[in-house]
Amino acid sequence: MEILQYALRKLLGGLPLIVGVTLVSFALMVYFGPDMTYLLLGKNPTPEQILEVRQQLGYDQPFLQRYLGFLREIVTLDFGVASTGEPVTALLAKTIPVSLILILPGFILGHVVGLLMALAAAYWRGRWLDKLIMAVAVTGMSISFLIVIIGFQIVLSSSDGLDLFPVRGWNSTSLGSYLTYVTVPTLATMFVALGYETRFYRSIIVEEMSRDHVRTARAFGLPESRIFFRNILKNCLIPIITRIMFSIPQVAIGGALLIESYFGIPGVGKATYEAIITGDQPVLKAVVSLTAILFVLVVVLTDILYRAVDPRVTIE
Amino acid sequence: MAGDAAAPVLRVRDLSVEFVTEEGVIRAVDRVSFDVQPNETLGIVGESGCGKTVTGLSILRLIPMPPGRIAGGSIELNGRDLVPLPDGEIEDIRGRDISMIFQEPMTALNPVFTIGSQMADVLCRHRDLTRRQARVVAAELLAKVNIPAPASRLDDYPHQLSGGMRQRVMIAMALSCNPQLLIADEPTTALDVTTQAQVLQQISALQAEFRMAVILVTHDLGVVAETCQRAVVMYCGSIVEAGDVASLFSQPRHPYTAGLLASIPRLRAERLAELPVIPGRVPDLLNLPAGCRFADRCPRVQERCRMERPTLAGTGTGGSLVACHYPL
Repeated sequence: MEILQYALRKLLGGLPLIVGVTLVSFALMVYFGPDMTYLLLGKNPTPEQILEVRQQLGYDQPFLQRYLGFLREIVTLDFGVASTGEPVTALLAKTIPVSLILILPGFILGHVVGLLMALAAAYWRGRWLDKLIMAVAVTGMSISFLIVIIGFQIVLSSSDGLDLFPVRGWNSTSLGSYLTYVTVPTLATMFVALGYETRFYRSIIVEEMSRDHVRTARAFGLPESRIFFRNILKNCLIPIITRIMFSIPQVAIGGALLIESYFGIPGVGKATYEAIITGDQPVLKAVVSLTAILFVLVVVLTDILYRAVDPRVTIE
Repeated sequence: MAGDAAAPVLRVRDLSVEFVTEEGVIRAVDRVSFDVQPNETLGIVGESGCGKTVTGLSILRLIPMPPGRIAGGSIELNGRDLVPLPDGEIEDIRGRDISMIFQEPMTALNPVFTIGSQMADVLCRHRDLTRRQARVVAAELLAKVNIPAPASRLDDYPHQLSGGMRQRVMIAMALSCNPQLLIADEPTTALDVTTQAQVLQQISALQAEFRMAVILVTHDLGVVAETCQRAVVMYCGSIVEAGDVASLFSQPRHPYTAGLLASIPRLRAERLAELPVIPGRVPDLLNLPAGCRFADRCPRVQERCRMERPTLAGTGTGGSLVACHYPL
């Protein structure tokens, strides 16, 4: 009950953040964004035609009114119609699930495998396994994402390589086809993420291993494995949770955009990319506001998780 | 000291501890020998960096290895040498036969587990108890160290307790398996003065009740005078003087001990203004002088001191030992 109130208060505290983010991005779109008027009109339009189109698009209304209209769209989750004639909500309902099932395996595996490798490296720190893992991590970090994607495509998907998976495209009608299409993007994202995650997790675990309370546990005869997996790991949970949670918005936007455009996958990232290119404001508005909301949700959820793992975090 | 009739709980002989660093091998503890008798408190005194803490830690093999290593000597607990024991057996001894408490009570406990859970960890490790039984024992132990409402304190986290309380929790944990020896590494340094006295009294009282020996590692000669029967003074990794506290304080034989005693501040303003200090600095452990390590700072230094390193030898009075060519 206490935690529910806390969550509610945190969510309310996130509202100004949503207002701020949407206000800034809306202002940018209005004053610096693409103007659809001339795209919709033919050559040599008359001033009356221009005025008519601007009226249709709502460009003639004062800024505040347009912004309030935007907020209303967010609250009702009705973002109007995209330039293709398709309702934005329908577009999102179609593309977001694709992005989710595309990104999730790489995201989860990247963190889980990264954490496992970091645990092994930290446990045997200074030994050959640690050095090997760190060498792999640094290699992964040093190679450009683009090179990694192309490399994996050549090795796994081309007729010069193993030719096991399709080069690009998407089909998730059956589990089998989903797996064939999702494997290469997942491996590519994992390969890049793994280096960063492993190095980060190893450093926080090793730092925790040198704490006084670890020496205390050892001085009282607790076995090394128990100290490592219980006493040390629980203390590492705060930075681990922070890392995972705050990479969610980043992965959802940046990761999806990059991967989907390289692999030609019809997810929300590709839709966003196309909306940016064509200046499709209804779609952009929807994506920007949903991202802001996602971010606030992540922050609130992170705060709640902190409380669950660290008794020093109190509800104020 | 080796001449005592009663069998010592702990007999340390020629213990040397080294750390391998990039600049070279540092010998932090150099052929240190001492005994701890049952039921007595032995002080290990010296400046920071003299090797007193490393000596305490290496008894339970708690120095990080590598870079640290026990380079020689023996540590006998009731006649059984701990140095060659495999890791598993030394783990059994830690917290059961020999317990240790540390300088910083603020960081020595794990911040994300309750006091009760951490105490139960130790109890269940060494005694055949269920978690539920361990909680009952833990509450009894907290009551023994004068923590009010002990049963409800079990569910507290370390950050909810004061420094003095945390140190008492540590003491309770240290006593939980009736150890024969308690190593207290600067247990009161991080506490304020009134709490210091309480914690020291607590240790002394419980020492009598549990009939255990105590090694008190400290830089504070006042603490030694109040709590210890015997003390060893360490300088630069080796013992320079050892003996019973009364004669050590009234008749120090080593110039270093005399210097330490003279530099205790007293609460008289005019004396404070002329507080004597030992001139110079502790020599670099990587670059030790050939002769006596205290020679550069010693007011009584002679030519021989710079050439030849003095060995620890009996002074003729009681069991006192001193490592000086020209003792006071």
